[in-house]
Amino acid sequence: MSSFKRKTSSHVTNPIGTRVIPGPVSTFITSSGVPSLDDILGGGLPLTCSLLVLASDLHTAYGELIQKYFIAQGLACGQTVCVLDDDAQQFVSECMWMPGQGAQVQNFVPSTNDHIDDEEDESSKSHDAKIKIAWRYEQMKQFQTTVSSASQSNEDFCKVFDLTSRIPSDIVNSSQLVSVNVTTNTDELPTRRLLRSIEEILKQEDPTSYKPIRICIPTLGSPQWGDVQPQELCYFLHTLRSIIRRHPHACLSISLAPHLCTDAWGGPGWTQKLGWLSDACVSLTAFTTNPSLSALFPSHHGFVHIHSLPAPHTLLSPSDKFSSLRGLSSSGENNLAFKCMRKRLIFETLHLDVEGGVGERRTTPSTTATVIEESTHAQHQHFHPPGNSIPSEALAKVEVQLEGVREQETKVEVQEQPAVPRPSAFKKAKPKKKVAFHSDRPDLYDF
Amino acid sequence: MSFPSSGLLSRGELLVLTDEVSSPAEFLIHRILSTHLKEANESKCLFLSVSESLTRLRAIAGKSNLNLPQYIQSGSFHFVDVASQIDPPVKIETSFNQQPSLKPIFELTKQKLSGWSGTESSVLVILDDISTLEWIGYSITDLLRFIRVLSAFCRKANASLLIRHHIVTPSEPDDILRLLRQLCAYHLEVLPLSTGRSGSVSGQVALHPGPGITQPVHRPITRKLAVQYRLTDTNVVFFERGTGNTVL
Repeated sequence: MSSFKRKTSSHVTNPIGTRVIPGPVSTFITSSGVPSLDDILGGGLPLTCSLLVLASDLHTAYGELIQKYFIAQGLACGQTVCVLDDDAQQFVSECMWMPGQGAQVQNFVPSTNDHIDDEEDESSKSHDAKIKIAWRYEQMKQFQTTVSSASQSNEDFCKVFDLTSRIPSDIVNSSQLVSVNVTTNTDELPTRRLLRSIEEILKQEDPTSYKPIRICIPTLGSPQWGDVQPQELCYFLHTLRSIIRRHPHACLSISLAPHLCTDAWGGPGWTQKLGWLSDACVSLTAFTTNPSLSALFPSHHGFVHIHSLPAPHTLLSPSDKFSSLRGLSSSGENNLAFKCMRKRLIFETLHLDVEGGVGERRTTPSTTATVIEESTHAQHQHFHPPGNSIPSEALAKVEVQLEGVREQETKVEVQEQPAVPRPSAFKKAKPKKKVAFHSDRPDLYDF
Repeated sequence: MSFPSSGLLSRGELLVLTDEVSSPAEFLIHRILSTHLKEANESKCLFLSVSESLTRLRAIAGKSNLNLPQYIQSGSFHFVDVASQIDPPVKIETSFNQQPSLKPIFELTKQKLSGWSGTESSVLVILDDISTLEWIGYSITDLLRFIRVLSAFCRKANASLLIRHHIVTPSEPDDILRLLRQLCAYHLEVLPLSTGRSGSVSGQVALHPGPGITQPVHRPITRKLAVQYRLTDTNVVFFERGTGNTVL
């Protein structure tokens, strides 16, 4: 009998809802619920790591939306989810769920605009199919701005959620969900007490079980947390991170209350400090604070800035190698933005469109270009006296005499063409439909 | 290109390491630690950790051929979790007069270095993050005193000291950085690229001599001529500006 034995790798069972990053030290990652955010994090959020989401806009709740995805993903794949909030049950009951398996959102009126918005991809695909493309480009892959949503093999790792579906109530009431109240009657700071509570919860978990636990703080620093000071918040984040690191099956996701996300609250360099105090820190800057940005990027809802990324066992973050959205493997980092459509939240690369910021695909000049052209003509008319009939070729004449000439003369004559209205080379585009809002009229909308 | 050169951390001197959030200087700590422990059999290291975990340290060291558990067992490497040794900065139940201090950490360092003083070994003390201690609530006065006393003691014990400080406001140097710059022999500054992150260049390192050394042996590297580096999973590759693999 031969003494040789086939070398077989020992079969390691992954914890539920996780995947292994290939590498010398196996790192388990779990999904945040948003495939494109997973891509930015390098495949997913590694266990023992913390994710901090900063959404500084007071009028939107994108930070909470990320937390809802995080909770829904945890519950959908059978992990334990611990939510630290006074209204944890209420918060979880507002989470999204998989299409066709949960209740529909009440009071939801499907509008045609939303529908069009959501079907954007499909319609553009069918539109493209009709266009005749030059043979050399026909075989090229279509330009992708985001990663594809969960495929069949990916489905156990990252479920597909629909924002119009609601989580079933039996899951909200199941033992998978652990809720911890933030406010109590004691004088102790909530942050100190909750650090102890989290440690106790994690200690109760069986270390040999293959069931990860997700800890979620939907709005850290909201009024229920009392009067939080920057130093106290830093202490909380720092201690919580070291607690999570000690438990191999735990991961953490936090959204800060909007008013705490800016340097105006925490002092100079506050966002950088937050980046240092968490394994992954991402900020979502919504365009609602700046109307000119929403006009410039009509198809997105905000910028995504990355402060730090998790690297639990390596010097280089796995995101730098694996993220296709960040695109570091080929060149410099891409600009990223997010958009929230009717059914899902997407992170994607941000590009200026053709001709610098016009969203639609067209063959005729845009209305804005025509307007600019017209306005330039109008200016010229304003400045020139009528009847000036100098040929347009002699627009400027400069004479310079060099050395040897006593008097150096420089004559500059600037003559411009007469105010003859030049017909536009392009056809005027059809004006867009506009809706105006008048508060002083009986009928509010003027079409 | 080998960087930093081995003699940069001479005995009894302080080396200051500064970095920013988009270019963390952990790789230099790992590199210096690995070089120091491999240098001689009797080399010792005391790691005062504020932000780094032993698991990660072990994983990265393991991949660069450094068997950290073996060093821990032999007593050459000692890891201290700073947060577990000191009281939390602001305690609601304590009175305001009773401010927690960093004295236990200094006492621990003193005790450990005194234990190693009999041997001829070269000792390295690493404090991986002084900034977080300030952010979580320890007073600036406490921290400045701690840095001063730690630096003085290491000089007396002929041990090298490495302190890392995070820069969050690059345009305005803070109090801690001012003091560190006054005490140090060299200042290694890790900077991100001004053009943003890149796949082929992770960042750049500048080297400034400090007043702690009268005749600097190593030539300074200005920010304009900073050495660039690229991180891999376990290692780092240094190269001169303009000689990266995508350029050549």
